[in-house]
Amino acid sequence: MKKRVTLTFPKRTVHMPVTYRLAKDFNVAANIIRAEVAPNQVGTLVVELSGDIDQLDAALEWLRVQEIDISATSREIMIDEDACVHCGLCTGVCPTEALSLNRDTFQLVFTRSRCIVCEQCIPTCPVQAIATNI
Amino acid sequence: MRTIDEINEKIQAKRAVVWTVEELKANVVEMGVKKVAQMVDVVTTGTFEPMESSGAILNLGQPDPPIKIRQCWLDGVAAYAGFGAVDLYLGASQSADYSGSGEVSDLEELREMRSRSPQQELGGGHVIADLIAGKPVKLRAIGQVTDCYPRASIETTITRDTINQFYLYNPRNLYQNFIVGVNGGDRPLFTYLGPLQPQLGNAVFSNPGALSPLLNDPDLQVVGIGSRIFLGGGIGYVAWEGTQHFPLQKRLPNRTPIGPAATLALIGDAKQMDARWVRGCYFKSYGPSLMLGIGVPLPVLNETVVERCAVRDEDLVAPVVDFAIPRRVRPNFGLVSYAQLKSGQITIDGKRVRVAPLASIFLARQVAETLKQWIEQGEFTLTQPVASLPSDRPFLAQDRWGAQINLE
Ligand code: SF4
Ligand code: SF4
Repeated sequence: MKKRVTLTFPKRTVHMPVTYRLAKDFNVAANIIRAEVAPNQVGTLVVELSGDIDQLDAALEWLRVQEIDISATSREIMIDEDACVHCGLCTGVCPTEALSLNRDTFQLVFTRSRCIVCEQCIPTCPVQAIATNI
Repeated sequence: MRTIDEINEKIQAKRAVVWTVEELKANVVEMGVKKVAQMVDVVTTGTFEPMESSGAILNLGQPDPPIKIRQCWLDGVAAYAGFGAVDLYLGASQSADYSGSGEVSDLEELREMRSRSPQQELGGGHVIADLIAGKPVKLRAIGQVTDCYPRASIETTITRDTINQFYLYNPRNLYQNFIVGVNGGDRPLFTYLGPLQPQLGNAVFSNPGALSPLLNDPDLQVVGIGSRIFLGGGIGYVAWEGTQHFPLQKRLPNRTPIGPAATLALIGDAKQMDARWVRGCYFKSYGPSLMLGIGVPLPVLNETVVERCAVRDEDLVAPVVDFAIPRRVRPNFGLVSYAQLKSGQITIDGKRVRVAPLASIFLARQVAETLKQWIEQGEFTLTQPVASLPSDRPFLAQDRWGAQINLE
């Protein structure tokens, strides 16, 4: 499974090879999406962690012990329900099936917990009903 | 069995029995064609899908001094002006284009006014939808100065209430069936069906299948020139055969075509339309278009009408076409049924491929339901077509998708 999180490092942990430890100790791959890390400053890292769910949890726990602050994702997908025409086009490009059509009503269903904020759906929507909150 | 006049008498007395085509299909399974044909007077169908071959005719009313417009932009989208002095034709798939029409700052200002994000691509479909929604639209025009039309240019703001005529005239709508797009290549493609991901990453279909108006009257026996319809939330009419009308497409024994076939040209007063059913849209790296809700009532004149309307998604097919080959006639991966398409997954060459619709089945149903209510309430009567649509048009060197499919 995948999880997108924002990590905020206190000054003293900036030097720690975090992604290396995640991979080696927890078998969790950290795909860095955005990074602002400079020596002797508070750093932030937006990463997509992928790995086994138990190991992901253990990795997050380890990060907390290191006094690295973890906040869920930095961005979220917003769907404008007035603009959406339920065409379903976005459901074909969503890699996690966070976007799907109800097979009875054919209304768009957004399952936020599955969304990895890859943003592929945004340019796909023909009526610009999808955006991020930032 | 019944005539249109008899049906209209019942509609006016609010006694007509009207079913949506989905209700009819379910009832035929339970009761059979004969019984259903005796019970029901009108069946309503509907669709809601992008139809880029749509456009609006506008007559502005002359300013003082008057102008003979030769070039014109509505919110930066060029409209065709080669008619009488202030007649314009705005096409849904025309992109915003500011050449010859002013400064970049105007573009920014316009975009802000329309409160759209700066990346938003704007086209004729959006301008038509905005006018129907009652929003103001900026007009800029350049005239040819003549003795009778002395004005050289004009800049003004129009709304649907400040112009004389404003009607849609759509040269090609209501495709009777269409294709399923896939991409067998190795780079993403951006098409009129939206993005198609490489290595058969996804598939897109754009017809609502068993709900679709013309798949329920495959030989156009009850729909003809002059048929009154639901067009964009207002009342419209079938004006003519549509462009690329191709009734000779191969057909299954149930008479439905295996690919794009009949099309219709439609006309209707845009001043009475509702923005809910007329939506500007834009396909990334392809261009703008217009999504339209269209409903067609089918009078139950005989049992054949019911038999044709009973067709189910399992009985309807479309060809899977590979857009990676940049040819007019593209190779295809055979036929799939609409039941498979609507399940969200098809199998191509042994590979499972995600399928997304482009027609809104949710809104298509609402169109059929709304038209049903109009008829039940006596607000919408049926018309007798004044002429049939041609059933023998050959197709000249155009996209004959599906023509290479052998039905034997
Ligand atoms: S951002 Fe990505 S995962 Fe989230 S809904 Fe859009 S396509 Fe799906
Ligand atoms: S592509 Fe846009 S309009 Fe279509 S279902 Fe998705 S969010 Fe709604």
